[in-house]
Amino acid sequence: MAVALAARPAARPKRADDRYGWQAKGFAAPALVLVAIVLYLPFLWTGYLSFTKYTGVGAATWVGLDNYRDMFGNPDLINAAVNTLYWVVGTIALPVGLGLAIALLSHGLKGSFWYRLPFLLPYAISGVAVGIIWTFILQTDGALTEALQTLHLPGQDLRWLLDSPLNTWVMIIATTWQGAGVNALLFGIGLASIPHGPVEAARIDGASGWSMFRHIYWPMLRPLTTVVVGLAIVGSLKTFDVVWAMTKGGPGKQSETLALRMWKATFQENQWGTGAAIAVFLTVITVLAAGLYLRRQLSESKSVV
Amino acid sequence: MKKSRRFATILAAALVPVLAATACGSSDSGSGASTPAATSSAETAAGSDTATSAATGESPADTSSAAASSEPAESSGAGEGSTSAGSGGAAPDCKVPASGPLQFATDKAAWQPDFESMNDKSTADCGLSINFTGYSDAAQYDAFIKQGFQTNQKPTLFTWHTGDQLKELVDQGLISETTDLWKAAEANGDVPAGLIDNYTYDGKQYCVPLLVAYWGMYYNKKIFADNNLQVPTTWADFVKVADTLVAKGIVPLHQMNIIFEFVWFQALLVGSNPEAYVGLGTGKTKYTDPAVVDAVKAWYEMANKKYFIDPGVQTDPQTLLKTGKVAMAYFGTFFTGQLTSVGMKSNEDYGIFALPNFSPDVKKQQMVLETGPLCVGKGSQDEQAALAYSAWWMGQDAQQAWSDKRGDVSFNPKVTVKDPALAEFLKGQGDWEIQKRWLEATPNPIYTVASPAFGEFVTNPVADPMPMLTKIQEAADKYWAGK
Repeated sequence: MAVALAARPAARPKRADDRYGWQAKGFAAPALVLVAIVLYLPFLWTGYLSFTKYTGVGAATWVGLDNYRDMFGNPDLINAAVNTLYWVVGTIALPVGLGLAIALLSHGLKGSFWYRLPFLLPYAISGVAVGIIWTFILQTDGALTEALQTLHLPGQDLRWLLDSPLNTWVMIIATTWQGAGVNALLFGIGLASIPHGPVEAARIDGASGWSMFRHIYWPMLRPLTTVVVGLAIVGSLKTFDVVWAMTKGGPGKQSETLALRMWKATFQENQWGTGAAIAVFLTVITVLAAGLYLRRQLSESKSVV
Repeated sequence: MKKSRRFATILAAALVPVLAATACGSSDSGSGASTPAATSSAETAAGSDTATSAATGESPADTSSAAASSEPAESSGAGEGSTSAGSGGAAPDCKVPASGPLQFATDKAAWQPDFESMNDKSTADCGLSINFTGYSDAAQYDAFIKQGFQTNQKPTLFTWHTGDQLKELVDQGLISETTDLWKAAEANGDVPAGLIDNYTYDGKQYCVPLLVAYWGMYYNKKIFADNNLQVPTTWADFVKVADTLVAKGIVPLHQMNIIFEFVWFQALLVGSNPEAYVGLGTGKTKYTDPAVVDAVKAWYEMANKKYFIDPGVQTDPQTLLKTGKVAMAYFGTFFTGQLTSVGMKSNEDYGIFALPNFSPDVKKQQMVLETGPLCVGKGSQDEQAALAYSAWWMGQDAQQAWSDKRGDVSFNPKVTVKDPALAEFLKGQGDWEIQKRWLEATPNPIYTVASPAFGEFVTNPVADPMPMLTKIQEAADKYWAGK
């Protein structure tokens, strides 16, 4: 004890650091434990379920890779994967593209915020509510068909929500209505943060319109574009709510996305193992897609710099 | 040593709130959130699917769930492990002590006021009442109940589905046996003959009937009168009615491509070959058998003749019938409640008739019946009291009160139905041959393939039904091979 006390002064600085380190870990521990309980544990459980046959009651039976084998040979999953791909492409093209267009067109205008605001408002609504509103518009006896009939315009006979892949595309438009505004806001912030110097210099050099966008705004918006597109990829890969509210994946299974297929396999078809396998597959492709995209973008922007 | 002790202290202090939070979280998930208001708004907003499924609890219809509060954590210890109430089925015997209101869960969230209105009577008769937890999404509800059995808060009293889904729970030993209750009810004349089959597994009974619904044709009386149409008694008459309506630009029949996408398949097959229909549920009939193929061809024929409304119309069926957008709608008798809710008057604005058999060779009037069970979780808190409540539920008094409240048919033959259209419809009851509804008669792995396939057929009818039926039969082959 005496030895320990005598030795104390010399070791003091190190101990203080240590103590600080331990304390920091102690304070971080609740968050870590919480993350482990609500995130990692369910994830591991899902991973485990994906190798079993389980109906939600009783015991799960280990079936190895059967669920994965069945899943990839299943035309329903392939159909859902194709629809999900439509969603990814459509979400990048429409909500992101339109958001950029709105931001660019309103950029520099007096009161540009007020131009963007109406586009932003639908963002406050949940996906399910968006689905319900658009169902009123797009159902067979809905507002759109009636408007087309009144105005004697073509497209009156289109069954917007019944024919595939038309229904997927109109649902992407519904999402665009909701999502374009927030993208416009983000791009607006990006445009506002572009320094005046290069823009002025380009203007003096005679750049305007397309050439200004192509050579000045686009490259300088790149960090923001990366984030917006990255979010769009992840968001579109897990599309569920709008489809659920508008078509429930139907008619039949025609407009199902991967997330919807996962839900239906688990809770409607009682095949929790298959549902878990789809969940794992969806997680892997989401992480891969986002990871590859961000890595590529970030390394390119580094090389630009 | 000291350092690690200090760290342990900090960690423990930090963990307490986390563990407390998680524990609260898990007990919440077991008992449901307390947002009862969510249901009704979602139901009205989401249109027909929702309204229909909320009323019947068949399948998912909207994504919101509604739940009322429930809180028990400790078991009363009453009735743990025993299997039957032995209450005798009559009301005076139902006085079994409970720890508090019985926890009751259902996917029929919209029926909350009706269920709660029974509390006065059940309290007076047995000293028992229920604490309501309602879901309006059937799939979410099913998962909730199944997960409940994995916890120490096993569902006490809950509604479920007959057929394959009840069998699954019975096979796992999760359901309290009700053989004694059924014996008493049958002796008492509280249940009609044959209903017991829906509740029997290996010679024993599980659950009691919550409801029954007969599937009949609801029709708009004004449209019939305006067009000089009579209620058809043969299929040929029915075709004449439909053809007349089509010629006048009125859509004869309602249909849906989701939830109830199977009903015309069911109606046509049961009315043309009841034996084949029953065989589908036992594996005796193949979906590719000529009888089934012919039924689907007849279905196509009807679609081709423009008998059905476009399935993309998502207005409530009750509104469509009221506004005359369709002249007839084939539904279970639960539909009466939906028509009342839009202000249609029974036997004045609408009537109900039994859909004539498709084939004149089928002599007995075929009638599809669906029944939904009220179950007690084995080993749940207040198991004995819940069984006593079940016994009380089957009795004439409780059923009369329930039928009056709902304006619906009761399974109890001693109950008089006050609704004039239903009473008229039920007059024919003596001549009916009762058949199980296709949904309950079909094992789930076959249903999950057939239901979307029928949904596609309703949306885009095709003349050649073989690809669809072959696909369903593949699922059926796989299922029956495993039996």
